Amino acid sequence: MKKIIIIFCLIFSFSTLNASEVSEWFEKESNLFLEIISNKEGTESENYEKYKLFVSKNFAIKSIAYGLIGESIINKSSEDELSLYLNVFTDYLIKTIYKLANSTSSGSIIFKDVDIKDNIYIIKSEISDKKSSANLYWKVIDTGKSFKIIDVIVENTSYFVTKKSEFNKILRKNRGSLKALVNEIQKI
Amino acid sequence: MKKHLKVILLIISVSFLQISLSHSNEDTSISSISYDEIYDPIEPINRAVLNFNFFIDDIAIRPIVKTYKFIAPEPVEKGVSNFFSNLKEPIRTVSFILQGEFFKSFNSIGRFSINTLTSLGTFDLASRIGMEKNETDLGITLAKGGVSSGPYIVIPIIGPSNLRDFSGDVVEYFVDPISNNIPNREYLAVGNGLNERAEVDEQLEKVREASSDRYEMIKSIYYQNRNAQLEEEYIQNLPVPKIYIE
Repeated sequence: MKKIIIIFCLIFSFSTLNASEVSEWFEKESNLFLEIISNKEGTESENYEKYKLFVSKNFAIKSIAYGLIGESIINKSSEDELSLYLNVFTDYLIKTIYKLANSTSSGSIIFKDVDIKDNIYIIKSEISDKKSSANLYWKVIDTGKSFKIIDVIVENTSYFVTKKSEFNKILRKNRGSLKALVNEIQKI
Repeated sequence: MKKHLKVILLIISVSFLQISLSHSNEDTSISSISYDEIYDPIEPINRAVLNFNFFIDDIAIRPIVKTYKFIAPEPVEKGVSNFFSNLKEPIRTVSFILQGEFFKSFNSIGRFSINTLTSLGTFDLASRIGMEKNETDLGITLAKGGVSSGPYIVIPIIGPSNLRDFSGDVVEYFVDPISNNIPNREYLAVGNGLNERAEVDEQLEKVREASSDRYEMIKSIYYQNRNAQLEEEYIQNLPVPKIYIE
């Protein structure tokens, strides 16, 4: 009986430890993000580089990019096609965040809660400025080396789900051609 | 004439529901967390209607909304939004009763009484004293009763919907105890529509800018928001990508 209690305590303390680690990481990175948003002093290319660094460090870009096109497209595409797609998507993701941040006035991101399901941390936060506030959820994985974001959900709209619908439509329209998808992304 | 119109619209809603029920074997879950293949058999018509809606929005609705947002101070905007939301509390009460959610139905009618008596609904005092707003409508009630969403449809001027939700909206329009007892309810409906458009103004601007296919984006956002109202653990159940080591 004692052993069971000890094992239970160990498991419980391990999950609490991880939850506190992920919340610490989140607080640190969200503050860094707000710093980047509010710093308007640098040139456009300097600021863009900061966003690039932030996205590369904190987003599981390959998982998101590959998840958006699905296994069947990955399997039938060549290494070169996949590599080109990954580069174009990375650029697109950075530009999306860059644009979004530039249209947002500086505010705050408040950590609310963290939940875990199937080894994915779901961080609940609230983003607010002078005018309004919105619920912001982050789905995060632990890669062993660091935490990486796999999806951002603003109120109820998931970035991953929305983009997957869009990308799927383009792929279906073009008979699964990754090249066509890359061209479409580059047009945006 | 008005009575005839009501009967015709009710018949249309009922037949819509029958079509929706006949499709329920395609999609048995109430929320269907599958966003890749949303049932959309009339896509070309929907796309044309969406383009028409954006055209009308560009030339008429958007300028009105922008002017309103420019002129009206933040508290006024909030007050107007609260006013229209408060008018929906009685129909929310009815919906919750039909769903068997009696506590929520008491909460809705309580909110309506408090907010109407204190500020005609322009200030949400009820939330301040712990009676939080719970969103629902007849479309959600039908979904919880096992009616599947049916095909996706874009309604002229109004926007994205599906057969089930649109049928719910039509029925709501006629059974709503508040707007049914207000003279010139058409003005109220227009006011409500403009207020709802103003509430999603920023999101619509982002859709215009950031999408490769705004039709797909709006459709996906619509279903995600509806599913969020249906699913208890919506955020947890959203699909996630397979993890690749980088």
